[in-house]
Amino acid sequence: MEHHVDERKSACATGANQGGSVSHLLPKEIQQQIERHPCYSKQAHQYARMHLPVAPACNIQCNYCNRKYDCSNESRPGVVSHLVDPHGALKQFRAIKKRAPNLTVVGIAGPGDALANPKATFSALKLIREADPTAQLCISTNGLMLAEYASELAAHGVHHLTITINTIDPHVAAKIYPWVYYDHQRLRGLAAAERLISNQLAGLEAAAKLGMLVKVNTVLIPGINDQHIAALSDAVKARGALLHNIMPLISAAEHGTYFGMTGQRGPTEAELTNARNASGQFMAQMTHCQQCRADAVGTLGGCGSEASDDTPATADKLVRVAVATNGEPLLSTHFGHARQFEIYQFDQASGQFYLLERRQVAQYCSGASECPEEENDKQALFNTISDCQIVLSARIGISPWRTLEQMGVTPNVDFAYQAISDALQRLARQQQPSQPQESNDEVCHY
Amino acid sequence: MKYAITEQCVGCHACALVCPNNAVFADPDKPQQFMIHPRRCTGCENQYDTPQCATICPVETAIVDELMIAVNPIGSLTGIVPLHVGRAQ
Ligand code: SF4
Ligand code: SF4
Repeated sequence: MEHHVDERKSACATGANQGGSVSHLLPKEIQQQIERHPCYSKQAHQYARMHLPVAPACNIQCNYCNRKYDCSNESRPGVVSHLVDPHGALKQFRAIKKRAPNLTVVGIAGPGDALANPKATFSALKLIREADPTAQLCISTNGLMLAEYASELAAHGVHHLTITINTIDPHVAAKIYPWVYYDHQRLRGLAAAERLISNQLAGLEAAAKLGMLVKVNTVLIPGINDQHIAALSDAVKARGALLHNIMPLISAAEHGTYFGMTGQRGPTEAELTNARNASGQFMAQMTHCQQCRADAVGTLGGCGSEASDDTPATADKLVRVAVATNGEPLLSTHFGHARQFEIYQFDQASGQFYLLERRQVAQYCSGASECPEEENDKQALFNTISDCQIVLSARIGISPWRTLEQMGVTPNVDFAYQAISDALQRLARQQQPSQPQESNDEVCHY
Repeated sequence: MKYAITEQCVGCHACALVCPNNAVFADPDKPQQFMIHPRRCTGCENQYDTPQCATICPVETAIVDELMIAVNPIGSLTGIVPLHVGRAQ
């Protein structure tokens, strides 16, 4: 959605200020391990990652999250949007891997908490690992159950772990977490805060000892945890965390979160920079995170998302193709029914399409009864793919067809019910220039 | 005391994962609506101090007891007071 794309841009801009990479602060061996992981390294942008939404349940409540809607702070799509079971996840993985050979990283980040759904999480990890032993597996968690499952995670080959820790001060945490579910009880207030923090720190320590690369995410909430960042960074570093990713609070009132409803604002650029500097005394900072959702697929942008801004939609050279899909390997989705678009970018050097990302859309039409009349919704749908030159779908209505054409996006239904990978190959062949073209931008294909 | 799930449910699966008696299942026609099997639900009596489904459920008024009283009334989980809830919808 539009909102999503905007975040990408702003995240890119903040990343760009920070220059090259965080890795000069890390030992060489670890640098090598993270350099192919797009969530850890800015240099890893040509590698794609995929998050499998297999973990719906959560065991804590954060004041920046509303379980009814998509959460923009944690990596959470709405609980109901795209849940898959572990076998469905494997299918998705296989389908994407076929079309995106650059897919190296597979993670579980929600939509709830990976470790509040241990069965689904571990069974998905096992299936993916069997299907592709080279896939790098990663997990995001709030840390409540991490100490309990750290060794099982290691045994399943999980190498990269992200824990969201917002503070190590229980009085501060009590303002962020109204309750946690632990040991069959709903704890509230300070009891909840103390339990969560001690479990997070114990889990972090256990995971680091097992050799996992641990990144800590912190949502920066001005007036609440912004004065406590150095202490937090010091404490997590001491327990073996490698990277710190401080993200700005997103708290629009319409998300219906506690912070949204109470008018809690997000940090300014200056507050964010101060916090990152405070943490930077202790730990390497990660600044290119785009707060990706639990069902995110794709590369983290970088060069590509900047370049796209100056690519005119009318360019005669095809760059991007949007594929309307609800997750099937065949091109069987009606344009108006697409819940998401997979965006593929043509790579001149290899003559192939690579998966750039998957974009969610508000549905334009879900049957006669519940067609949203809002012009905004339709506009959001079109905006989702306005930077693409071709959009593939099984079918499309005449009026969206005209709108797309006016935007310079060509609708194409020639490949209806064929495999998406075949369609992309055929399009790629049409892209091959008769003579090899000079390209000055080998560094940034996308 | 037995419990039931209302239409407020968002289908997050949490209750189904913690129910000790496998009493929670998703409505086959509506995957985001969970239901409690009235015969299988024991109210967690003799197992836990509190009904586990309602102890983890993140959504206010989604779980009710036999008298249709919400175990987690509005405001009890999110701290968002009713006035604001009204405005949000
Ligand atoms: S009260 Fe206990 S037995 Fe009944 S549905 Fe809830 S968790 Fe299951
Ligand atoms: S925990 Fe609550 S919201 Fe989640 S599925 Fe159960 S009843 Fe529905």
